[in-house]
Amino acid sequence: MLSIKNLHASVEGKEILKGINLEINAGEVHAIMGPNGSGKSTLAQVLAGNDAFDVTSGEVTLNGDNLLEKETEARARDGVFLAFQYPVEIPGVSNLQFMRTAVNSMRHHRGESEMNAAEFMKLAREVSKQVDLDPAFLKRGVNEGFSGGEKKRNEIMQALLLQPKLAILDETDSGLDIDALKVVADGVNALRSKDRGILMITHYQRLLDHIVPDYVHVLAEGRIVKSGGRELALELEDRGYGWLGIKDEATDADSALSNSAH
Amino acid sequence: MKPAPTLSTAFLHPAGQALPEPLLALRKQRGAALVDMPLPTRKTENWKYSSKYLKLTDEMASSLPINGKAGSALAVPGYKVVFINGMVIPEACEYPDLNNILIQRFGDLSDAEASELAERLDSTLDKKAVQLAGLNSARFEDGLVIRLKPDAVLDQPLFIIHEVTAGHSGSAFPRIFVDAGRNSKITLVEEYISSGQEAVMVNTVTEFNLAEGANVTNIRLSMDGENVQHIGATGVLQQRSSRFESHCVGFGGPLRRHDLQVRLEGEGAECKLNGVVVTQGTQHYDNHTTIEHVAPHCDSEETYRNIAADKSHAVFNGRIHIHQDAQKSNANMNNKNLLLNTGAEIDTKPELEIYADDVKCAHGATIGQLDEESLFYLVSRGISRREANVLLTMAFINELVAQIPVDAVKDTVQTHLNQFFDQTFQEA
Repeated sequence: MLSIKNLHASVEGKEILKGINLEINAGEVHAIMGPNGSGKSTLAQVLAGNDAFDVTSGEVTLNGDNLLEKETEARARDGVFLAFQYPVEIPGVSNLQFMRTAVNSMRHHRGESEMNAAEFMKLAREVSKQVDLDPAFLKRGVNEGFSGGEKKRNEIMQALLLQPKLAILDETDSGLDIDALKVVADGVNALRSKDRGILMITHYQRLLDHIVPDYVHVLAEGRIVKSGGRELALELEDRGYGWLGIKDEATDADSALSNSAH
Repeated sequence: MKPAPTLSTAFLHPAGQALPEPLLALRKQRGAALVDMPLPTRKTENWKYSSKYLKLTDEMASSLPINGKAGSALAVPGYKVVFINGMVIPEACEYPDLNNILIQRFGDLSDAEASELAERLDSTLDKKAVQLAGLNSARFEDGLVIRLKPDAVLDQPLFIIHEVTAGHSGSAFPRIFVDAGRNSKITLVEEYISSGQEAVMVNTVTEFNLAEGANVTNIRLSMDGENVQHIGATGVLQQRSSRFESHCVGFGGPLRRHDLQVRLEGEGAECKLNGVVVTQGTQHYDNHTTIEHVAPHCDSEETYRNIAADKSHAVFNGRIHIHQDAQKSNANMNNKNLLLNTGAEIDTKPELEIYADDVKCAHGATIGQLDEESLFYLVSRGISRREANVLLTMAFINELVAQIPVDAVKDTVQTHLNQFFDQTFQEA
């Protein structure tokens, strides 16, 4: 379904992705791990179409269609969904209005009739229960004043509403306590389907205790340096990145870089 | 050196004479006072950004006959007074049938009533700061006095519709004077519309006197035609524990100017001033507001938002003046501005002048663009760029639109905003 070939991307003239190759088939869950600054978030943003990043070479196709030449909204309508590492707060736009507009944009694109306010409210209430978000959050501004965990659950809620073909989860586990992590993991597991590919970006292996991936890749300095199965994540947990010849700088460099994308 | 043109030399055409003698005398006196008053130029501080758009016209719009029927004005349900080209159209009006609320045309006042009114006209305005209100005082041909006796409550909003009709040019000078008695209550909607494309100048003055405990809500919708110059002034005098709430919503034109002056003269008085301005093309809109905290323990809250698209220009000048005796004043002014295109311009100037030492005052002004990060977030969910732009622009003002207390007005505003969005945000 998703095919990435020799993808290079830079931000403000600095090359971050230096030749990514990755194939994700429908029904598969892939995890990308790697130290800070390795380019994990950049990959997610490039796939979603953030034009703060320049793709300098390479090819990305989704079900055979060239993804890179499409606008962000067209990619979303083709089924690409990115759960943001830092979901944006938008005061003045209610969460309910936002989600309904998004769902109706997709329905419109598929030639389906739009959902009216009452129909959507019913659906939204059900899905909010699934991610353990109080329906009161629907009335608030988008992510406005939400805690870190509430924002992440709100992202998963959108994925459940939009039912994407490819869900990219960018550090959806960061900043969550163990209970919130379980809720989010349950949401992601509910997304697993034979028709859907999932790409999880994570810094920690603990998410993978709850969502078992089919493949694990290690990203370092803009390249995938090792791929394997579930056991690779456990090995990284035990041994760190050093044995792969990777320095784990354990600094905030990655967040500095990903911030420039915002 | 050639003498600067003055307001009086610019106006020779006589105004109509169908008014009681004391008002004609007042008009003459105000006209004489204009003789030496220079026209505003870019060196006139409070007209710095707007003087170049000012094109005064000598002719009176009312001097031309009214052809055909007036436009949309007549369709509004409820209490209403309709002015067309500055003159009241009696057959189009619906007055409330209440014995404690009197609505009279200037022309219907007795000499004694007119004499009392002449004493009080202009008393709510700082004439030096609102020069062009003097033009209205010298040129008005018709007007309304609205008197609420103590405890009178108007059960529905009163719409005052000012329309300029097709085929008319020249100037219109409608005038409103409201006397809200002790503990009375009224919602007054002023709606400015046009049914033609002519270059008319509308120069309006609306004055409110609020006695102790009076509660007045004023909604002002400036939706004049695209070639209309609108110069309006609103003066408000508030006595003890009175409350004034204003919602000004304006769409741009060749020149739109509104001066709003509020004087909190009695202890415990409060005012809330909301404003939304939307401009596009090469339009210009200039809001000047002044809040005078004269008495102690008064509250003022002011929230204005400007949205400027294309090459349009919006101006906000908000002044709060806390007098020496106005201890325990509580004043809040907030002005946020949104530029939708790089060619648009917004100038904002909050002014705080404080002479009392025990007060709470805050002011803030920002100018920005739509947030790229928010835009990316919305489109990443499949929302079109157009819809995302509309959502974010609406987010900037919807709190103020939601506060408009009359649903019919809210709907009209939303309809106009949707037209603006259609013209401003094209589908990709």
